[in-house]
Parts: sequence; C-alpha cells; structure tokens
Amino acid sequence: MSGEAGEALLSVRNLRVAFGSPQHPLLAVDGVDFDVGPGEVLGIAGESGSGKSVTLRSILRLIHAPGRVSGQVLWRGRDLLALPEEELRRVRGGEIGVIFQEPMTALNPVLSVGLQIRENLKEHTRLDAAGRRKRAIELMDHVGIPAAQSRLEDYPHQFSGGMRQRAMIAIALASNPQLLLADEPTTALDVTIQDQILKLILRLRSEMNMSVILVTHDLGVIAQTCDRLAVMYAGRLAETGPVAALFRQPRHAYTLGLLNSVPRAGQLRQPLASIPGQPPLLSRLPRGCAFAPRCGFVLSACREAPPPLVEVAPDHRSACLAHQAVAKA
Amino acid sequence: MSLTLTSGIAAAFGNGRRRHMPLLVGGAIMALFLLFSLIPGTFAPYDPLAFNYMHLSEAPSLAHPFGTDNFGRDMLSRVIWASRIDIQIAIFCTIFPLVFGTIVGALTGFYGGWLDAVFGRLVDLVVTFPFLVIVIAIVAVLGPGLFNMYIAVSSVGWVFYAQLMRSGVQVQKQSDYAAAAHVLGYGEARIIFRHLLPNAITPIIVYWMTDMALAILLGSSLGYLGLGAQPPTAEWGVIIADGKNFMSTAWWISVFPGIAIILAGVGFSLVGDGIADIFRRRH
Repeated sequence: MSGEAGEALLSVRNLRVAFGSPQHPLLAVDGVDFDVGPGEVLGIAGESGSGKSVTLRSILRLIHAPGRVSGQVLWRGRDLLALPEEELRRVRGGEIGVIFQEPMTALNPVLSVGLQIRENLKEHTRLDAAGRRKRAIELMDHVGIPAAQSRLEDYPHQFSGGMRQRAMIAIALASNPQLLLADEPTTALDVTIQDQILKLILRLRSEMNMSVILVTHDLGVIAQTCDRLAVMYAGRLAETGPVAALFRQPRHAYTLGLLNSVPRAGQLRQPLASIPGQPPLLSRLPRGCAFAPRCGFVLSACREAPPPLVEVAPDHRSACLAHQAVAKA
Repeated sequence: MSLTLTSGIAAAFGNGRRRHMPLLVGGAIMALFLLFSLIPGTFAPYDPLAFNYMHLSEAPSLAHPFGTDNFGRDMLSRVIWASRIDIQIAIFCTIFPLVFGTIVGALTGFYGGWLDAVFGRLVDLVVTFPFLVIVIAIVAVLGPGLFNMYIAVSSVGWVFYAQLMRSGVQVQKQSDYAAAAHVLGYGEARIIFRHLLPNAITPIIVYWMTDMALAILLGSSLGYLGLGAQPPTAEWGVIIADGKNFMSTAWWISVFPGIAIILAGVGFSLVGDGIADIFRRRH
C-alpha cells in the first residue's frame, strides 16, 4: 500500500486553490501532492484553516468562484479538474462518494431518507423502481439502521445524529463508489457514536474494497482508522507517510508538536505540551516555512524559503529542514 | 361512534392549546365558499338574475334573508352565486403568478449572474408602480372584463412570488444538503426543483393564501370601478357598486356582499397563517 505512482487510484498533483483577487491571492491550498491506493485509507490532518477541507472539496470541483483551482486531480487516469461537467457528474456520486461533517444539515429535510437513497440509485444505476427500493432497504440495513424497511419513509428529523450519519453513508454508498471522501464525518457526534461510525466506515471499506480519504483534526481518529497520513499546515503538506511510522517517529516539527499535545492513556499524569502561538493568517504568510515562527527547532534557512517535501524514509516524506533533529527528540 | 367524533374534535382543537384553530376556522370558511361556488344552485333559494317587481328593495325577511335589490332580485342568491365568480377570481388571478413566479424565482436565485440582473431590473420596474395603478392601466388598454383582468393581474403579480422564491433559493443553495446533492452527481434541474424548491416553498404557499384574499378584494375593487366582471353578472364588488346609490334606503344590497368579501378574505388569511404556523413549528 505504498500508494506511489502507477497503482494509485487517485493522484493529486500540485493542487493549488486560491481565493481573493488575482493581485493578492490567498492560497488556501498551495502545491499539495498525494496518492491514494486501492483499498487504502488516507487521513488528512490539520488545524482549522490548514486547507484540509478545501483540498477534499477541490477533488470533486466543489470550489466555486471566486475560488480558483489549479493542478491535477488524476482519477483512474482522467484529470477531474479538466473533465467536462457531464462526465464529472457521473464520477460524482457514481464513482466517488462524499459524506459531510454535519449529518443534521447535509440531508434534505423535506425528502424521506429512503427517497434520498433511491434518488442516488436512480441517477447512477440501472435498477428499476422495485429494485431500487429493495437495494435501499439493503443499504440501510448494511449501515446498521435497525428496522430498515419501516424507516424507509421516515424523514431526517426523525433520526438521531448517529443514525443520520449512517443514512448519509448509505446514500453515498448507494452506487458502489470506489472512493469515499469523508469530511470530518464524526466531529458532530458523541464519542461512542464516533467509534461506531468509524468502525462502520472501516467495515464497508474492506467489504466493498473502497478507498477512503478521511479529513479530520482528531489524531485519535487517524490512529484508529488510517493507513497513511498527510499532515497539512497553512495550505501545504508538512509530512506524509504510513500512520504507524509517523506516530512512532514524526519527522516534522509540527507533527511532533501535534502528537505531544494529545493526552495519552496509561501514562503518568503530565502537563500537556501545546504549540505556542497561532497558525498564520493566509494573507500574512511568512516568506519561509509557515510554521517557523512557532517552531522550537527553527533554523535560519527555515525563514528563507518554504522547505521542499523530501523523502526522509521509505514512503515517508517531510517538509522540515530540521527533520533529523525532530526524529531524535 | 360519537365518542370517537368528540375525541377527534378535541384532538383537532389541540388539548386546549388551540394550535390549529386558525387553520380549522379558515378551512371551514374556505370550504363553505368552495361549496357555494361549485354548486350554488343547491344553496341559493332563487334565481340570482330573475327580476321580481312584486318585491322591489325589500328589507331582509324570512323569505329573503338578505333582502332584495331594486329589481327585486334575491340578495342571498346573488351573494351565493357571486362567490363562484370571486373564487374564480381568487384562483385565476394567482395561479399563473404562483407557478411562473416560483419558477422564475428559483432559476434566478440559483443561477444569479446576468439572468438575475435582467429579472431584477424587471422586478424593480414593476414594483416602482403602485400595483392598482398599473393593473388599471393594463385593463384600460385591453378593455374591461374578467379575462383581461386576469391578464393584467398575472402580468404584474408573479413578481412578488419570484422575489420570495429567489431569496429562499439563494439561502437554500448554500446549505450542506445542496452541496451533497451536487456531489451525488445530480443535474441542476433536479437540484433546483427537487431539493431546493420544496425547502423554500413555505413562504410562497403562505403568500399565495394572502394573495388570494387580496385578489378577491382587487377583483371586487375593479368590479366596483366597472373594470372587472360586467353586470348583470353577480360579483361582490359589482353588487356593492350597484347598491351604493341605495345606501340610505336599502343598505342590505351593499352590506351583505361586503360581509362576504371580508369573510372570504379572513378565511384565506387564516388558512395562510395556520399553514405558516405548522411549518414554523416543524423547523
């Protein structure tokens, strides 16, 4: 599951998303590259405003004017950013499914849940009305909605938060997508429900042999679910690599700071380390590494130019000039 | 049997909270006028157009509960038959604005851009004129009569529906479920009419009810001015106009159709209020 060239299902190359005027563009995403292999779960982590959600949304061209997207999003050999609208529509929902953060608002309140599932089946499959109904019940059953048959005509407001998220997953999965984009799917849910939903996503991943991109700011969620991780900071990739390696030995000062700020069970009670300062404003990014002003490992070269993303170990890349010092810390 | 009926009524009136009271009362009034307009012959005791020179301008009595007019026509029958015309006015003056305005508003709200700019200016142009003045001007050009009145009101009235729908769709299209429909690969027509429109339709329905009440008033006003329904057709505004010369001697000619207009207006408004209330509760 290296996800490197050739076997990748989705390859994002030099993705840039700019807002604001062309004279003073604000780069929400600046030169992001990553790959997702078949059946792989990629986590994208970062603070609010780091560009993780914008990255996810730009994959399916959900960034509207005045936002400008450039680069390449190669989906099974086709560049989604250059695809005609008609063909893109077949990819959306048909080959790539999306679930959103807020199950309260991402379901249409005036249409029944069963109807919303059937609608996706109507758009992307050749099933007839009876077949769609049968499949909708199957799907609801599959995502763990009890008494699926009798809940088919229920409206979103009659579902609890966790059940709504399950319903949304059922809608997204109706047409057997090969890739699921999940934008903070558990942030709005209770911790116990979070766990159930994540396990559900993992189960469906292996049953349907689907890849997943999971955007979250919760490192616990990443540790529990992802194969690989991409850490973003101020619109750029800070570090990417296998989750186990990255958690064991982070090679970017920011990742190290993030990991140190997470409480760990089973250890002596210690004060939590936090990263001093605030993430920079996109309108006032430093010339060099965006993390330099908050970094304990900062070198003078860090302030000159943004450090390139370089391979520091097999399949493990970091954009940190001090990665060796970080590794020893 | 009677027990279920009473509990049903008790439930409908909502355990003392009277939550659906306006809707029930308004609905009853609307149903009454609908019945009058569908089968007026069943309710009207006399022919509304038949003269009776034996009973000219008679005050209300058991034989003629609403009295008779200066031709001896039974006022109760005329008021009942007139509801057929006025309900027709309420529907025909609003149905085109409802459908056309809703569609235009949904499209301009969704697409924005030059489409929105063009219709926006058109809307501005129409709202700058006082409604009644522009309607009277159009009728004056086309000539008086019910059909021309429908054309005049329809060509102006859709603007208000379009404005309502436009703002509703603009709000709804920002919602997450709209984005979700987008990433499910649905076409724009489906997103607009299946997903956004039903979520923005509530104020339209409420406005429609009020608009029907206003249409009856407008129809009566134009009838009174001689620009709407033409005599001898029984229409509330026309009857009031006929009766105005006899206000001091035969007040009942003008007063009863006036009460009918008020009652119909109140009925439609109550239904509108009730619907709005139910939707408010749901959200």
